[in-house]
Amino acid sequence: MLSQSLYSYKSSLDRDGVIFTFCGPISHDIVEGVGVTLKSQLAGSQVKQTTAMKVFAVFIEQVQNVINYSQERNDFDSEMGMGIIVVGKNEEKYFIIGGNKIKTSKVTVLEENLTELVAMDKDELKAFYKKRRKSNTSEDSKGAGIGFIEMARKASEPLVFSFEKVDDEYSFFSIEADI
Amino acid sequence: MTRLQIEKTKSSPKIDFDGQTHIHLIEGESYPENTQQFYDPILDWINSYLAEGYEGEIIFNIELIYFNSSSSKVLLDIFDMLDETKNEKITVNWIHDEDDEAMEEYGEEFEEDIEHIKFHIVAK
Repeated sequence: MLSQSLYSYKSSLDRDGVIFTFCGPISHDIVEGVGVTLKSQLAGSQVKQTTAMKVFAVFIEQVQNVINYSQERNDFDSEMGMGIIVVGKNEEKYFIIGGNKIKTSKVTVLEENLTELVAMDKDELKAFYKKRRKSNTSEDSKGAGIGFIEMARKASEPLVFSFEKVDDEYSFFSIEADI
Repeated sequence: MTRLQIEKTKSSPKIDFDGQTHIHLIEGESYPENTQQFYDPILDWINSYLAEGYEGEIIFNIELIYFNSSSSKVLLDIFDMLDETKNEKITVNWIHDEDDEAMEEYGEEFEEDIEHIKFHIVAK
């Protein structure tokens, strides 16, 4: 039974340095609520304000990505995307990971875009960010479509991403930013 | 021009656009649930306001602590609208906390694309 293994599950998260994790339907209320909690959590720790704001900023982009782009929607409220978010600290680095299902047909394009992104240095990222900000929003995109570039700019290391096949139609996409 | 006032929430900024004083304010945090839905009435207001062609000094005070990437795009749209008037009597004050280097840099990035209006980066 899950309740009996809950402590070992929690201990495993603790060992990995997880500060916060959420798995399930993600709504804007969660973004606001957890965002505020995360900010006060970071403000209370010894972390520099600039680092705290970077962690918060990447968290917001990650959760809004899941809400807007997860192909797995909540049965009761289609505004909610299903996915998983993990925020933690490993030695001196914060990590913010997001994951959700996407259509397998979208994998190639996303993989190409992200591969291009991770190869860029900070100046190239800035130029790319400004270029994408000026161009019109793509049809697929509810936001500016520049969330990943913003994450890459905040991160201290290249973004790490992966795709895993779920079934014929869907793949699981995950992306990690370290700060 | 009717005054446009919107109260701030956790994820959306306070808006106070005043067609009488011509001093306008965007203040707080911006990561609304639906960016377009939140900003559409604001962009409409600015459009009508600029169409009136007021000839005196116009000030936009932008005092944001945080904004997400889709809000960044809307801010650029606002600055483009203002800049396209080529009205040198329009001033944008980009106000940031003196310790907040990231917000200062965001201001500089907007400033780079502005040609006609005044854009001041102000540490507070």
